[in-house]
Amino acid sequence: MMQSEEIKALSLPPEILVAEGLRKSYGPRCALQGLSFSLRAGHILGFLGPNGAGKTTSIRILTTMMQADSGHFIIDGIGSEHPEKIRGRIGVLPENLGFPRQMTGFEYLTYFGQLYGRTTAEARKHALKLLEDVGLQQRGKSLIGSYSHGMRQRIGIARALVNDPVVVFLDEPTLGLDPRGQQELLELVQHIARERNTGVILCSHLLSEIEDVCDDVVILNVGYMVARGSVAEVVGRVQQNIILRNILRVQVLPDKITEARQILEAMPNIIKVAPVGEREGWLRLELLGTAYGEPASVHQINNKILSALIRAKIPILGFETEGGRLHDVFLHLTEEAIK
Amino acid sequence: MNTMQTTKENIQDNPSDSALPAWWLVFTRELADLWVGGKGLSLILIYSVVLAVMVYVFSFNTELSLIPPKEAVYEMLKNAMAVSMFISLVIGADTLSGERERNTLESLLLTPASRRQIVVGKFLAAFSIWPVAYAIAIPFMNVLSQGDEVLLPAILWGLATGTVMVVAFTGLGMLVSFWSSSNRVSYFASMGIYVLLLVPAELPGTSSGAAGQFLQWINPMASVNHFLSKHLVNYEPLSLFWSWLVAPAVLAVLALGFLFLYAGPGLRLEPGKTSWLWTRKLGRAIGLGGMALLLIALFTSASSAMAGSQAQNQTSDLQISIDLDALVVKTGDKVEYNTVVTNNGAEASPPLIVAMNVINLDAKGDTVDPEDWAPKRTQYMETLGPGETVSLHWIINTILEGNYMVYMVLIPQPDNSDSTSQAVATSGIHLTVQPFTRLNPGGVLPYVIGAPLLVVVIIYFVNRSRNKNVDIGRSE
Repeated sequence: MMQSEEIKALSLPPEILVAEGLRKSYGPRCALQGLSFSLRAGHILGFLGPNGAGKTTSIRILTTMMQADSGHFIIDGIGSEHPEKIRGRIGVLPENLGFPRQMTGFEYLTYFGQLYGRTTAEARKHALKLLEDVGLQQRGKSLIGSYSHGMRQRIGIARALVNDPVVVFLDEPTLGLDPRGQQELLELVQHIARERNTGVILCSHLLSEIEDVCDDVVILNVGYMVARGSVAEVVGRVQQNIILRNILRVQVLPDKITEARQILEAMPNIIKVAPVGEREGWLRLELLGTAYGEPASVHQINNKILSALIRAKIPILGFETEGGRLHDVFLHLTEEAIK
Repeated sequence: MNTMQTTKENIQDNPSDSALPAWWLVFTRELADLWVGGKGLSLILIYSVVLAVMVYVFSFNTELSLIPPKEAVYEMLKNAMAVSMFISLVIGADTLSGERERNTLESLLLTPASRRQIVVGKFLAAFSIWPVAYAIAIPFMNVLSQGDEVLLPAILWGLATGTVMVVAFTGLGMLVSFWSSSNRVSYFASMGIYVLLLVPAELPGTSSGAAGQFLQWINPMASVNHFLSKHLVNYEPLSLFWSWLVAPAVLAVLALGFLFLYAGPGLRLEPGKTSWLWTRKLGRAIGLGGMALLLIALFTSASSAMAGSQAQNQTSDLQISIDLDALVVKTGDKVEYNTVVTNNGAEASPPLIVAMNVINLDAKGDTVDPEDWAPKRTQYMETLGPGETVSLHWIINTILEGNYMVYMVLIPQPDNSDSTSQAVATSGIHLTVQPFTRLNPGGVLPYVIGAPLLVVVIIYFVNRSRNKNVDIGRSE
């Protein structure tokens, strides 16, 4: 009889990217130290790390723009020793991609389709389909110079898909977009992964978007891989350590924040109440006496806090335990690694 | 009509075809970028204005309008080539560093297209400036030639030498661009190279002496100018000056070699980095090998360039040769040539006299008035040692139209008043002198105004045609 893990492995999509021990140094500075991970077809993998963590180096290596000092990777069964063949299997949207302003979106996609070996007629047909896929069918004959930033990101994603790649690398695709543009683009990324069964590696500084759309995550810090796995696994693995600190966050209406703060500061189990930096209406509560980690007492304190606010008729907009979000895990891991 | 419906119709008009090679795709794309909305037409407009101003000055300036047509044609050709080389250098300098700066190189490198093919496509597109520029120069040369027969050889030799030089300069520009991270660095470095080669070629007096001649010969721009001037203006035979084409040819071969064999496969996002196949040692070895070959070629050819004479079969121990072929000139032209006197004997010669003779063939062999035709009709030499050679320079001022015969006589000075000496003569060179014509200012105006105007009209129609095929939409 098959074990449950074997059954689970068989039901999973195949691995289309496997990286083993990738290392890269720039002179004496080590930019990447033993990066190993894998990506399955149709999955979205979030690539996280603070500035200088080695994300761009990793992407450059995996997209064959740079050679690793050591290590190996395989994409769709092709080893890293065949960069030209790999380039035929991947699609890339680099960060700060430039566009020829005098070309139309349609010409741009046709040109790249031809460079990937399509005939002119095939490339044109495919360009039309891609324009539809990324929602630019009405602007295909417009010069790229007239596109908005969001439209350029979309045409960049279409270009990355021009060869029907098995893996797509998207480096900060939502950078500079407004919230609606970000949302639309992430939906597009999810659509690409699900409909085309394409593996997507998504580099982003926006942890919330990684958490929302990614199946798996790799966290890098100063060249080292500090976490990898599914988002739930990585959060779950680190969460306990963070929760031991017993910090809560509560969101109230912004005009009620002073009143809420006064009520909470008067409660016996709370050491410190402070607003959360950029998050409007959020208060961060540091609890006393629960550092022993007994879940029952934590839950009771949570209930008391909420009851106090309700009694004071302060509307509660949000409530969360610090450590339960990818954002907390990221900060915790990168902080630990720096220490 | 929906914009994309139009596109769909266009697709249906084109039946299925085969995949095109990457170099061709890059070439056609770059060509469109350069000529449609790019800087190609703007640079050509500036170029045509420069040539037009030059022709205008040639025709309206009292002194310059007296320049013989062949010299005017040569000057026009020289300047057209110099400006074309400059433009090709500027365009070449933008090809790779410009793409790096605009962040468009990465998407090209991410395709499976061979990097060498990418470089070939870009090179061909950058080179496309030359045929257009040269086509614009031809009418200007035509108007300056005033029907002189120098026009055809000037067009042909200009095309040949200009093509070699533009290939070399485009390649140089691209190599600089390959090693540069930004366009600013690339442009400055390219300008430096251009000025370094142009200034010695234009400065007066730099070609005097053996060292000066060698420097002129080794400088591709100066040597091409020298070659064209000797052949087109002085009608000197090619056999004497072919070696002046070595430096441009070597430069073109080296530039292309480095570009396609070294820079092409090693093209990377970062400036100047090469692929693992092209290690530093290999690159250095190729560079040194190329330099060694260049030096060998330069030195072996230099000797023949300096000699500059053609020996003739003569029976005496004393020989005289002349480096002049039959030629057609206009009244007022200055014909310059050299004679080389050699003592092949085992003993030193007596003092020697070389005399110029110009006979009017239309007047049944009458000699022309020597004072008007040549500032120096005879030259005297002290004894010539065994195996020794002396080169003498001569000038003929063509005063009257007609058919003439030029020949030189070498006469050993007799020992005493009773003795005679054996004279040696060169073959006779036929000199045709045609009547002088002055450049007509009214005749050049259509060219001066027409050429730049034509380019402006072309720019207008190219932009209009382009705008018709695209939506000039606003961002959303």
